[in-house]
Amino acid sequence: MTGLYSKHLENRKKAVFRNILLTFVLIFLALVTLFPIFYMIMSSFGPAVATSGDTRSIFPKRWTLDSYRAFFNFSPHSLRWIGNSFIVSICTVLGNVVFASMAGYAFAKINFKGSKWLFGLMLVAMMIPYQVTQVPLYILISNKLKMTNTYAAMILPGIVTSYNIFLSKQFFQSIPTPLLESAKLDGCTQMGIFTRIVLPLSKTVLAVMAINTFMSTWNTFFWPFLVTSRDSMFTIQVGLKTFKFANETLFAPMMAGATLSALPMFILFFALQKYFLEGVTVGAVKG
Amino acid sequence: MKKTVMFMLLVMLAVFVGAAMAEDTITVMVPPVSGTYLDDIDVWAAEFMEANPDVKIEVIKTSWEDHNGKLQTMAAAGEAPDIAEVSYSSIGSYVELGVGIEIDKYLDAERLADYDQNALDYMSIEGNVYGLPLYITIQAIGGNKEMLEAAGADIASIQANGWSLDEFMEVIKNGTNENTFGFVFANAGVTASDFLNIFGVSAGMTNAFNDELKYTYTSDNMLKLLEAVEAMTKSGYMPNYGVEAGKRMVMCQTGQAMIFGKAMPLFELNFKRNNAALDANDGTAVADSIKADYAFLPVPTMEGMKESCFGSVDGLIALRNHNTTDEHLKNVVAFLDYLCSGDRAAVVDAPLLLEPVCKSGREAYPKYEETGLDEGNVAAAAREISLVVAPPAGVTAEQSANAKLLMDETIVPKFQALLAGEITAQDAFDAIKAAALEVFDESDCVFGAL
Amino acid sequence: MSKNKVTGSFRRRFKITSDDRWGWLFIAAALLVFIIFTLYPVFSAVRTSFLKYKPFGSQFIGWKNYTDTFKNALFFKAVKNTLVYTVVVVPLSLLISFSIAIMILPFKKGTQSVFKAIYYLPGIASGVALSVVWLWIYDSSPSGLFNQVLAFFHIPPQNWLSSSKTSMLSLMLMALLSGQGGNIIIYIAAMMGIDNSLFEAAELDGAGFFKKIYYVVFPLCKPTTLFLLVTGVIGSFQVFQNAFMMTGGGPDNSTTMIGLLIYKNAFEYSKFGLACAQAILLAIVISAISLLQFKLMGVDVEY
Repeated sequence: MTGLYSKHLENRKKAVFRNILLTFVLIFLALVTLFPIFYMIMSSFGPAVATSGDTRSIFPKRWTLDSYRAFFNFSPHSLRWIGNSFIVSICTVLGNVVFASMAGYAFAKINFKGSKWLFGLMLVAMMIPYQVTQVPLYILISNKLKMTNTYAAMILPGIVTSYNIFLSKQFFQSIPTPLLESAKLDGCTQMGIFTRIVLPLSKTVLAVMAINTFMSTWNTFFWPFLVTSRDSMFTIQVGLKTFKFANETLFAPMMAGATLSALPMFILFFALQKYFLEGVTVGAVKG
Repeated sequence: MKKTVMFMLLVMLAVFVGAAMAEDTITVMVPPVSGTYLDDIDVWAAEFMEANPDVKIEVIKTSWEDHNGKLQTMAAAGEAPDIAEVSYSSIGSYVELGVGIEIDKYLDAERLADYDQNALDYMSIEGNVYGLPLYITIQAIGGNKEMLEAAGADIASIQANGWSLDEFMEVIKNGTNENTFGFVFANAGVTASDFLNIFGVSAGMTNAFNDELKYTYTSDNMLKLLEAVEAMTKSGYMPNYGVEAGKRMVMCQTGQAMIFGKAMPLFELNFKRNNAALDANDGTAVADSIKADYAFLPVPTMEGMKESCFGSVDGLIALRNHNTTDEHLKNVVAFLDYLCSGDRAAVVDAPLLLEPVCKSGREAYPKYEETGLDEGNVAAAAREISLVVAPPAGVTAEQSANAKLLMDETIVPKFQALLAGEITAQDAFDAIKAAALEVFDESDCVFGAL
Repeated sequence: MSKNKVTGSFRRRFKITSDDRWGWLFIAAALLVFIIFTLYPVFSAVRTSFLKYKPFGSQFIGWKNYTDTFKNALFFKAVKNTLVYTVVVVPLSLLISFSIAIMILPFKKGTQSVFKAIYYLPGIASGVALSVVWLWIYDSSPSGLFNQVLAFFHIPPQNWLSSSKTSMLSLMLMALLSGQGGNIIIYIAAMMGIDNSLFEAAELDGAGFFKKIYYVVFPLCKPTTLFLLVTGVIGSFQVFQNAFMMTGGGPDNSTTMIGLLIYKNAFEYSKFGLACAQAILLAIVISAISLLQFKLMGVDVEY
């Protein structure tokens, strides 16, 4: 372990005491950060009636699934919203894994004309805030390509991102070039090298890329909100926003909707925790 | 082989072009205007398509929350639906964008005459009609009858004659106790503008422009209104914190508030439904609610002012998009007219407890009219509607767009700060005046009393 | 002979090799998407910023959108709000995640992972879902959750999102309390990479726990801190969703940040030209910050 704390290592009692103290502080802080999610899940099991909220409690007085039923009854498309989110997220993930890794490989290991400045261009583009492109992109999709209310409109603009190309290029660079050169001498084409040698070596980085992309696509609200107007094409995030009422407040059903929208991410997180946590450090510089 | 493929492609192309030519697709975008509207409109679309086989209608259903933002965005990209629901005050911004359509050119004079002229005036800018009205809606306040009487309010007299600000303050003072606020008004976020609109009318500001087309929110009446609001929020008879729109009626239904706003006549139905649910004890009633009868009340009138009521006309307008041709517009306007008249108008208006604003709608109205309503409320609503002052004729699209910008960027934000007790009425007024003078010439604003 | 050499290298330079073909094939899809959905919109944004945009017949108005922006008091208020938000949230969030990372450090790998996961969890829920919850936590009636906590400490209830005194504070608090997970994990990775001999050397010099943090951990985590600082600042300049969902920019425009202002101009007031002009100004500021990043990082590497 790290030498930062080494002072107490010879004194076991002190070390144990220190760790218990730290655990308490850490758990307290964790409870504070987790509270909104906890509150959301608990409240979603309350009854589906309007409330002024003045008798609010953390746990519902009566436990019921009514609010989930209310959410699904709210729109004939509630279930479809979740399906739409899956379609959009999965397609975006596939596109990124295939196209970004291909481009990343080309930039890292294929010596072709224009590769340097093209890669530089993509790097520069990564720094442009999305506010610059949002208006023209919206006009392009809705007016020029007539793609509003289609899956294509939600998928295509993000189907391969500069960030993912950058990420995979960084990784592929670490693969030793002689390995690839010898395959080339054996008569392998670049496609062969890529699919038979490079990809099998890159499972982790591809998984990280897939998960990060899935998470950001699943949670994205703004773009699908802009390009969909028909409720059958909403993603769950957009649907959740419409789940508000002008003259009354149905708190528990709203929380049920919020819980449902977050549920797939929670499941994925607990199943693939390792990749989630690893993914954070992949993009960051090494300390 | 090649020839067959070519032939098939040609056939497909022909079918495609044929279909495109035979079918004129009309898109309609509407929020849930009434509880059943989004189901009703499917039926009406089907009826219209049956009568006009060459027309195909597509309905885009939105929520109130997103409707206006979405429509504005689509219109700006040139992708507006052919027909959309709007409140009259936003028509100017669409005309300014260049997507408004003067529908009177595509509609028979005889059909146009079906609609009440005063309602039609709302849907017009500089004498051009851009849409057709669905109803004149009124917004005021409402309350718990029993509590009001206990607080010394003579409901029948108030409903019949209106009341003064002093009388109102006295009643909400009496109605306030440790469990109940005398008055609650939803004021969190953008709903602050409701407060301003509804009470602004009682301070003599019936519109952002007067008959001489001068901007009125710079007048002393505005200062008077802001001062009255300041007095109300400081009185302690009203919550001194932000109240979400979704909570106001629930607070009244649970006995936490005696009077609430904004309120519409149709809330009587909500109270009745809740009373029935309480009787049935089936778990669908508002949490912790009590049985209560609803009284629809006029907004108190400020000293020296003529009583009036805040009203708005909502309707459907036709918009320009890439599809727009003369031929297409004829179909669009025909469907627009179909949706706004006859049984359709009556079906929309009945559950809102509002009378239709076209002759054919009024003829059909008795078939759908809600019955068993409180007579006092019905009479009060009718009287309030008659007090609504129509906007002056001749306001330009630019003026109305500027007024909207001032409202969004200055007046509502300053009003929010006033409600939170952070600035005084005078501060708010000065800020509004300064901002108005940046947009309008001094000669285009009213100073002093209206 | 020299002539031959020139044509040879000329040929080599313009001869299309098999690697060229493969390279272009591999990037073809990415390039196409990049051109259509990034490059074209950027150029189009620049063009639009000089237009009074109308769907049918825009007018060229020169620099008016830019001059209007600089005349607009709300724009400067939005800039100020963005700066205040950034200056408070970014350093505080680094401080918090640095401290938590230090506290997680002495535990075994398994325990570390558990804590990492717990702190990362709020970050995976969507902003829409969380903002719905936070709206209720910040309810300004006395029964609002935060107000109940305050009541426990005998502090009067606050108006949270409905008062311009506390609205910005509320958004900051929300940002600080959700989503430190990523930073914590990155810090832990950096700290685990510090060589033990450095701590031992410091101990020989008589350094205690805090001195070790100050003289060893701090300087060695500097590149990480810089990275997080710069990405944090860039992210915070574009912050938009929480204000959009929770306050709409109010009250009294106290939470109108530059991202929200651009959104409103574009999609609420249909002023596409103005929105593009303001977005381009934002891009210029952000690229200035990014350049600063490279400079700082460069200096650090030399050091």
